[in-house]
Amino acid sequence: METPPNLPVGWVAQWDSVQQRHLFIETATGRSQWENPAQFPAGPIAPIDTQGQVPHGQPHQSSKRRQYATGQTQAYYGSAEPAPYADPSYGQPQPGGQLFTPGLAAEAGFAGQQGAPAYFAPPDTGYANGQYPQQPVQQPNMNQVTNQFAQMGLGGQKPYALQTVNLLAGQPDPRDLHRPTPEIRLPPNASISQSPYVNADPSYKRSTINAVPTTSSMLNKSKVPFALILTPYRSLKEGDEPVPVVTDTVIARCRRCRTYINPYVQFIDGGNRWKCCMCSMSNEVPQLFDWDQARNAPGDRWSRPELNHSVVEFVAPTEYMVRPPQPPVYCFLIDVSHAAVQSGMVATATRTILESLDRIPNEDNRTKIAIIGFDVSLYFFTLAPGSTESSMLVVSDLDDVFLPKPTDLLVNLTESRSAIEGLLGRLSDMFQDSHTVGSAMGPALQAGFKLIQSMGGKLVALSSSLPTLGAGTLKNREDIKLLGTPKESTLLQPASSFYKTFAIECSRAQVSVDMFLFSSSYTDIASLSCLPHYTSGQTYFYPAFNASRTEDALKFAHEFSTVLASPICFEAVMRVRASKGLRMSEFHGNFFVRSTDLLAMPSVPIDQSYAIEVQIEETLTAPFVVLQTAVLHTTAFGERRIRVCNLALPTTTNMSEVYSSVDEIALATLFANKAVERTISHKLEDARDAITNKLIEIMTNYKNTMTAAGSGASAQLAISENMKMLPILCLGLLKNVGLRQSAQIPVDLRAYAQTLLTTMPSQLLIPYIHPTFYSLHSMPPEAGTVGEHGIILPPPLPLSSERLERHGLYLIEDGQTIFLWIGRDAVPQLVMDVFNLPSYTELRGGKMTLPLLDNPFSQRVNAIIAKTREMRRGPYWPHLYVVKEDADPALRLWALSSLIMDRAEQLPSYQQYLGQIKDKVNGTTY
Amino acid sequence: MGGEGWLFLFALLISAVLLFVMVFFIIMFSDLECDYINPIDLCNKLNQFVLPENAAHAFLTIIFLLSGQWVAFLLNAPLLAFNVNKVLKKNHMYDATEIFRTLSGHKKESFIKLGFYLLSFFYYLYRFIVALIADSE
Ligand SMILES: [Zn+2]
Repeated sequence: METPPNLPVGWVAQWDSVQQRHLFIETATGRSQWENPAQFPAGPIAPIDTQGQVPHGQPHQSSKRRQYATGQTQAYYGSAEPAPYADPSYGQPQPGGQLFTPGLAAEAGFAGQQGAPAYFAPPDTGYANGQYPQQPVQQPNMNQVTNQFAQMGLGGQKPYALQTVNLLAGQPDPRDLHRPTPEIRLPPNASISQSPYVNADPSYKRSTINAVPTTSSMLNKSKVPFALILTPYRSLKEGDEPVPVVTDTVIARCRRCRTYINPYVQFIDGGNRWKCCMCSMSNEVPQLFDWDQARNAPGDRWSRPELNHSVVEFVAPTEYMVRPPQPPVYCFLIDVSHAAVQSGMVATATRTILESLDRIPNEDNRTKIAIIGFDVSLYFFTLAPGSTESSMLVVSDLDDVFLPKPTDLLVNLTESRSAIEGLLGRLSDMFQDSHTVGSAMGPALQAGFKLIQSMGGKLVALSSSLPTLGAGTLKNREDIKLLGTPKESTLLQPASSFYKTFAIECSRAQVSVDMFLFSSSYTDIASLSCLPHYTSGQTYFYPAFNASRTEDALKFAHEFSTVLASPICFEAVMRVRASKGLRMSEFHGNFFVRSTDLLAMPSVPIDQSYAIEVQIEETLTAPFVVLQTAVLHTTAFGERRIRVCNLALPTTTNMSEVYSSVDEIALATLFANKAVERTISHKLEDARDAITNKLIEIMTNYKNTMTAAGSGASAQLAISENMKMLPILCLGLLKNVGLRQSAQIPVDLRAYAQTLLTTMPSQLLIPYIHPTFYSLHSMPPEAGTVGEHGIILPPPLPLSSERLERHGLYLIEDGQTIFLWIGRDAVPQLVMDVFNLPSYTELRGGKMTLPLLDNPFSQRVNAIIAKTREMRRGPYWPHLYVVKEDADPALRLWALSSLIMDRAEQLPSYQQYLGQIKDKVNGTTY
Repeated sequence: MGGEGWLFLFALLISAVLLFVMVFFIIMFSDLECDYINPIDLCNKLNQFVLPENAAHAFLTIIFLLSGQWVAFLLNAPLLAFNVNKVLKKNHMYDATEIFRTLSGHKKESFIKLGFYLLSFFYYLYRFIVALIADSE
């Protein structure tokens, strides 16, 4: 090691005369290490097992000297690196005398033995803004198998490097969930454009594997399912590139397979024809393809967005319309029964609609609105254009719903604005003295459907109780005795076929249904959510809503107005086309499968995610495959458009490339979808077992084929680096409210959690199954202040209660709920700073709004909470609960259930779960 | 021709009808796969035939039981139990929202039923001829 070796970019070597060796410094972070980063980069986990054996991911063929050096390096790590998470309070005298740190003793031993694993990296400010600081460095130290396979890689392509880690050797680092997806390494010249956007961003479309095996037998052998996770309509946050639009209606499509032209086609015959990347058909290039219609002059083909971007939108000509594009239509069905009015739901909802009237998509003044009230009767309102008055028409015949008036019930928002405003202002008062109990929601849905069926649009149902009258009547079938038993899944199946058959009718008429449910008692979400499910809507649940609590009103108003204001598409169909040999086999998500590969979506809500499983039907011969999603839809401003989203993936004959390209986030999203479906068709237990069994299958096969242990028993639990968070994500799924083994979870909460699990995009789903956990009292000084990328967040902690200190303040959030955990020995100054109360005893736990006080700590905490509320996609506005360590056991247990690495009830801790998996992995041989 | 002859002639006719119903089901399923029919129409069409098919088969089985044709009865009893179980569990109807996920199962079931009706058709034919010969002797 006397000459400075070749170093990766960003590193410098410095000769240390004391140690007589090179010190390697990463210039960007200032971080130093003794080992050559080209061989031993400062990865998030140093794969050293507890016995101090040779780390698994290291070369077995390497010399003994190097192994020794590794051990030495680890020893240096211990002294050179700052303490775990640089917790300043560790060394300080603790208030309240005795320091209670349950995890500290164990942790010290752990760290001593291991020489402080590298995941205890100092907080990295770059990461705190949701960005992973560095691309994983190419690792030359993989095991033998990979080395051999690597030679067989496709010509010119960089092979994937497989890095094996031993899961038993370290704790999962939550920051690893934000790693970039495994790189998609397409062969050179796969695309005709050198644009960086030729492959879809993972937020639009991601695949569970980024290198596709060429045969289905190889795919089966790998045990990793092949699926796409799609969010074709995702929201654009600040700084996001808008989707480019092709406005000249020149749409080049393959004659045979109808694929849209994309960056992966080839131009042949002097550019007069193009060869389809899916079926190799040669097609003519349309005449106007090279014509700039805006300037009316010859244009540059190579600047066309569809050849440079993977996600584009085409403006469709009239051939793509069966009727003129529909206007946005919103029909509000508002429960006006006693319970609804008294809870303040009606007042909050009408006020929110009123305030959102300017934000509802209505760019070309075509938007139509109707308002129908229901309790035991239906109340229609005529909203004549120009007038400020509205008259109410009551229909009590629920068996044969009819519209009392042919006109003025569904009105143009702009023309009848004053009448609508008048009605919304008065609606709650009109029913203030109502004492009717009962809900004719089914007939109300039918009436709304009748009103808008000729156009299609959105039915927005707001209900405070179980439907008890007319079609779609549901019974209170919640039987506490069934909870936690194998029969529980019967409660998760729809009780009435109405919500399915009606959903099909709606889907046919391009009507989509959103449900907002507020009941304080059982409201059968399992049945009701079928309607949004098959009509591409969404279910929202506000259990025991009471508008007199400002937090409740705020949450609902925020989410409702976000939904109303969000851009929306109507009368859509989605189809996924793929290269020859691939077939879409199963579809998961909120839509109706209209034919083998066509998904009908009456509306496309923003930020809804879909999972589609892919089958390999024939051996893939091409060096890469293309998967193209096309969504034909009508925008809110009346334009027919096609959003096309392309994903190209290389093919491989090399199993290690399959493993090293697995996208664990996509895989966990698929597991969530499949598990929920299984709870309905089978049992909850089967669904949970299926997740664990799949994980065991993958890891068993990984051990057998990718590690030196082969099919023999191993003291380690090996998995590739890019999949190391998969076990904790699976455990998080098993412990999620939607799937958890428990006799305490009300069916409605479970059913609602399941709707979230199947609709949320990965950005929301991953925190939902693996919550984020911050320590606030000891956060680094920059956390909570404004950095280059907005508010800087503290480093997330592993989800274990060992981290909770008695004097600490913590934040646990899963995108739906925020817990502010305060230890019982919190110093009065902390309580004063955050809550403006003299001491811990004065503080009351529960739902609350945190005051914004005139001190830096309070402002930082508030900034962090605000950031966690807005940073993810989706309309959700999490409640904030203050959890005192020693009060309200129910709330405390709820908060602790977010710490998924702990043991809870019958559910294993993370270490136990790994132990179970290891036993199974060693127990089965092929 | 005696009672047994008439009985098996009747059974022959019913099983022929059931055979055609199954062929119709299978054709419809492959139409769905080829996108010639949408799942909603398919389910509406097929669901009309589900209960009559089950009823005809149940009727035949019960007649065998009442007339003491034990072999024929035992032959049909498992299918009857299967059908009754499905009706009791309320999953005998085709669900348009799930049809693509369950299609392979439905096809398999229809093929097995087709095979069963075909076999029983020949069995009834044999018994019918045996009965005719017995009559003529
Ligand atoms: Zn083609």
